[in-house]
Amino acid sequence: MKPATTTERLRRLLVLVPTVTQRPGIHLDDLARALGCTRDEVLSDIQLMQLVGRPPFQPSELVEFAVEDDKVYVALDQRLKKPPRFTAAEATALTAAARLIYPAASDVLGSALGKLEKALGASVRTQAEALGRVLDATQAAPPDAGRVGQAVRERRELRFDYFSPERGAVRRRTVQPLELVFQRGHWYLAALCLEANEERWFRLDRARDVALGGRTFPPGPPRRSALPPSPWGRGDVRVRFSRAVAAWAQEQFGPGSVTVHPDGSAEVQLDVDSEAWLVGWVLSFGGEAELLSPESVRRNIARAALASLE
Amino acid sequence: MDRMQRILSLVPYLLDARRPVPFAQIREEFPGEYEGADEAAERKFERDKAELLELGVPLRFVKTEDGEGYELDRSAYYLPDVGLTPEETAVLYAAGAEALSSGAFPLATDLQHALRKVGYPGTGAPAGEAGVRFHAEVGAAGGGAVGEVLPALWGALAARKAVTFEYRSPHRPAVETRKADPWGLAMRRGTWTLVAFCHQRQALRSFQVGRMLAVQVNAQRPRSADYDIPADFRVDDHVAHHPWGHRFHAPLEVTVELRGPLSALWERTLPGARKLEDGADGRARVALGVTYLDGLCRHLLSLAPNARVVGPDGAAARYRELAHASAARHPAGGAP
Repeated sequence: MKPATTTERLRRLLVLVPTVTQRPGIHLDDLARALGCTRDEVLSDIQLMQLVGRPPFQPSELVEFAVEDDKVYVALDQRLKKPPRFTAAEATALTAAARLIYPAASDVLGSALGKLEKALGASVRTQAEALGRVLDATQAAPPDAGRVGQAVRERRELRFDYFSPERGAVRRRTVQPLELVFQRGHWYLAALCLEANEERWFRLDRARDVALGGRTFPPGPPRRSALPPSPWGRGDVRVRFSRAVAAWAQEQFGPGSVTVHPDGSAEVQLDVDSEAWLVGWVLSFGGEAELLSPESVRRNIARAALASLE
Repeated sequence: MDRMQRILSLVPYLLDARRPVPFAQIREEFPGEYEGADEAAERKFERDKAELLELGVPLRFVKTEDGEGYELDRSAYYLPDVGLTPEETAVLYAAGAEALSSGAFPLATDLQHALRKVGYPGTGAPAGEAGVRFHAEVGAAGGGAVGEVLPALWGALAARKAVTFEYRSPHRPAVETRKADPWGLAMRRGTWTLVAFCHQRQALRSFQVGRMLAVQVNAQRPRSADYDIPADFRVDDHVAHHPWGHRFHAPLEVTVELRGPLSALWERTLPGARKLEDGADGRARVALGVTYLDGLCRHLLSLAPNARVVGPDGAAARYRELAHASAARHPAGGAP
């Protein structure tokens, strides 16, 4: 952890008394966690704050803490028991962060941001609006993302029709939704599929007729932070990129993983789990990528491209 | 008294005051702190005041019937009770935690301070309870250190200072040095983009932050702006949510035909599309506004054989051309 600048430390010091006032007897370790610093930093913050107060700076006019068995209390708050309002940058930061996951919790975040906005002073609100126009972390999401997010939070069963490109077919699924994850431009739902009785990843833009079930389910053990499976790796799939997109391939896969041929084309070797995904991916280069192997999938690429024209 | 102690003590002191406090009185009540010649002492106080303003302490100089001096309005200083529910706090925390853990958030420090204030009601809501995670592809491509570059770009943008940087674009053979005025930052599909007025091109350009190296913010006259951003500028107008949304040509309405399982998923497959008709064999036709036709054609090719462009003629011809090019790359009989 880098040492805080003077300004950062001052900002942290101004929320020290409020945090302890709100949670009297808070453990030093919890206080450090709440303030995002180390235990030693909290202890030195407490020492410094005890020198802060009002003239003539007699003991009764200084901030006073009591620390007993690592539990912290405020004895004298000297009017500092509430934190200062949000700055424009703080409000902008919160709004931008909320935008990252907004589609999955639009109802809750919408009301939270509304309340935060009311807590801003008028001039800060104007500044924050101006900053919001130049910082935008809004993510697109399918229309059901909010409903799915609600199901995750309320632990309610979900039913939806799901299109699996691997099977090329749509099936109705009933699942216990566990977590929504945004990755590589898509929203994925991790859920226990009740038909298969195992955990699966579902891409939200492939689900429709999403319905909240009436049944809730108990919380499971804490989930490890898994991500949807990446299609990448090293393996037997060989793709050659034309000169036009060779530089892109080098950027994407790293120069060490790419073989550049004398004609300027670039070749990579990959491990890809899903054949359907591989066909779509190669096609997305519009003729600038060629699947060299495996031969069985190679045939499907030309077939799919031409079949789309019928 | 050390500087931090003095600056912090000004807060309770001024919150306590019933009327504006003239500087002479502050000098008297903080003995030894603002000593020396009047001008030097005032400059020292001005620096303290600037620091307080940066902390969000709304200290100001006022002239009232009670006299003139410095005032710190309690109602403007104290954060009012925001009244967040435990669920709202949990989800807001989750959003903040995701932004911070992504390692690439331009206002990470401000976000941390804001979260402390949100957490101040003390619900102790653990992050992760909201069940939503955001995974940014930090440093996946381009080689730039997104997490380090973003705060510098944001600092430049907020202060309206020009930046110089090296840009490694896969569309150009060599690394180029650019000078630009940052106008906006946007995150789309996990990637941060800087929209900036490029001095070389004399026009607005988009730069992927992951491709920027050696970013230098103009350090000359740090307190004065190098440029203005027009009041009607919105960064959202310059970055695309979808591959067909890049602004490479005039808006064009394209008719797309979806079939098989995708005809029922048209709204999700092509966000922003409008249904035209349900055709034969369960095919659906939709209209979609595009500003990058090749982006749309490639996206549809990735869905083959379940999608194609059918109109207008020029757009349908471009789709056919790319489909044939893809097929020609994969002739029967195996790879050469």
